[in-house]
Amino acid sequence: MSAMSYGIQRGIHFQVLSDEDLERIHWGTLHVLEKIGVQVDSPTCRKLLKDNGCEVDEKTRIAKIPSHLVEEALSKKKTSITLAGRNPKYDAKLDMNHSHMTANGNGAVAVDFETGARRPSTKQDLVKSSRIIDALQNVHIHWPMVSSTDQQASTVHLHDLDASLNNTEKHVMYETAVTISDAKGLVEMGYIAAGGEKEYRRRPITSCLQCTYAPLQHDAGVMDASLELAKSGVPLVFFGMPQPGATGPATLVGSLVVGNAEVLSALTMTQLATPGASVIYGMGNAPLDMRTTIRAGGSPEHALSSAMATELAHYYGMPSCVGVSATAKEPGDQAVLEYYTGCVGPLLAGADLMCGIGLLEDSSCLFLEQIVIDDEIVGAISRLIRGEWADDVTMAIDVIEKVGPGKDFLAQRHTLQHMRSEFFMPNLIDRRSFDAWSQDGSKSLRARARDKVKTILATHKVPALDKDIQKKLDGVIEKYKKPMWGGESKTH
Amino acid sequence: MEDAVKRLKDAVLNYEMETIADLAKQALKDGVDPLVAIDKGLAEGIKTVGERFGRGEIYLPELVMGAEAMKAALAVLEPAVPKGQHRASAGMVLIGTVQDDIHEIGKNLVATLLASNGFEVADLGVNVPSGDFLKKVDESKPKVLAMSALMTTTMPRMAEVIAPLKKKHKDIKVLVGGAPVTDTYAKEIGADGYSGDASGAVDVAKKIVR
Repeated sequence: MSAMSYGIQRGIHFQVLSDEDLERIHWGTLHVLEKIGVQVDSPTCRKLLKDNGCEVDEKTRIAKIPSHLVEEALSKKKTSITLAGRNPKYDAKLDMNHSHMTANGNGAVAVDFETGARRPSTKQDLVKSSRIIDALQNVHIHWPMVSSTDQQASTVHLHDLDASLNNTEKHVMYETAVTISDAKGLVEMGYIAAGGEKEYRRRPITSCLQCTYAPLQHDAGVMDASLELAKSGVPLVFFGMPQPGATGPATLVGSLVVGNAEVLSALTMTQLATPGASVIYGMGNAPLDMRTTIRAGGSPEHALSSAMATELAHYYGMPSCVGVSATAKEPGDQAVLEYYTGCVGPLLAGADLMCGIGLLEDSSCLFLEQIVIDDEIVGAISRLIRGEWADDVTMAIDVIEKVGPGKDFLAQRHTLQHMRSEFFMPNLIDRRSFDAWSQDGSKSLRARARDKVKTILATHKVPALDKDIQKKLDGVIEKYKKPMWGGESKTH
Repeated sequence: MEDAVKRLKDAVLNYEMETIADLAKQALKDGVDPLVAIDKGLAEGIKTVGERFGRGEIYLPELVMGAEAMKAALAVLEPAVPKGQHRASAGMVLIGTVQDDIHEIGKNLVATLLASNGFEVADLGVNVPSGDFLKKVDESKPKVLAMSALMTTTMPRMAEVIAPLKKKHKDIKVLVGGAPVTDTYAKEIGADGYSGDASGAVDVAKKIVR
């Protein structure tokens, strides 16, 4: 239990589902896959499944996957996956003993930090948010948080990755490659940034989260891209997202079965195509809010579903990746309540990866202030889940005897030895007295977060990529400016 | 000789509360002027510790241990100061928790912080009878009397001291504090200063002795 290792040390976890529950969910899922099947839109993937003994209906595109194929795929999975950072000190080892926090990703709107204007996101927003993520202690893996909507359409995701790689030394996980061409561009950039394919395969500095489509569907482009990525050595997360009550049963466990069937079938196809591929088990079952039709990302149900998905992933021996988000429209009270609820449940249950912090309006709108507020939330939860134990040092009977009744423990060596590791020292939470706080301008949490963002942007330096690497990355982007999609130009 | 003074300063900076007394004894044996040892050694050391705490670089236990180290050395050096000479000080503060109240930690923190900011602090302890406060004030003529009360039931004890004190010693300033005490209440009972936390108490003390 080294306190120096990267990520959040995890010493306790609560349990939602019993072993019997997990068994039942597993067998139920196998039943769904074998008897009901999943819709596979990619002809390549259908052929792959058919060649391996699945019953495939070309008309309905439904593939029924026998249990033994799923069990075989599960036996090829990796139990420990390292998501490497550009700087090795940021290597995130998903080893079932540490939790890691990621940034949230793929928003399309940003509230301008200077003007307060709500507008489409730009590459400059990615530059800024990437630098902030790089500076924060409690966020371990970066995601391109918004899209470079000011760039040529066919290259947006490449610009997103470019801005990320250039502005953080942490591992970059991007989200949802939807065509083989997409995947190839992203792979190419990853190889270049890592210093070549061989180096990338040894230490993958990027990875990709791929969403399945609830209920029980696999988009053609996404699955084709997934196989391309797996073949190229890119670690994958397959992320099921049934919304309890809408695209999954209202019961959280029912939606877990639907999501599980999606993830296991994606895993099966991937392991058939590339045996031994690095696949992380992902799930984000946030319910549809039945009054507003909005996805309730910061709900207790999402947290609970993510906790259960983590238990299921660990039952399979796979690292988990689960979600959190918020429906709040501005940084502050509601966002904090939603992010705290959404993070604490899964982290208590042992989530290996939590995605992610810093976006509002259900992962669509970027506020730089919220990133640093959420970092503080994760800091507090890290302390909560680190674990406690009773031994001679922690019980401190000798110190209690030395001090005796009526005195204090402040001037004890024991206190000095433990105070830095024992106490969470907040950065944004203001614990000063009313007087001290009011004399300092009576600043709200959001105002203090603004100050912190300003400081980071003004002072935090991220070592740049090699000039040569930067040039090659620009070259890839340039190459993909050519019209894609059958010659249809996407320039604006 | 300069080395011995620097050693004492470093011993405060390194919280050597268990061994600093021996250093102080050795310094006296080597003929170091006790006043120099206090002013250039201990006081300089604790000032730096206090500043580090103020900037958030070190934590409370480190500040307290620095102050404990200073105290241990003072116990050796002060008796050696020739009569009539006095160490440099921002002023003497008499401090204590009021009668019927045994809450100590807040009062101790204020005492520690005042000491680390150059004040000479005489701590009367807890459950100090109002009459004792007045008697000690007569004896030592401090610049500031600081009183702490942690309960609404013991708060009035502060007023009980302030009324007669202000009649007799108009120039002695009174600083009050403790969880239930407010700025308004402090003014009402005729105190000269109030702070909601220990760090603030130092600023207030500096202001009222000016």
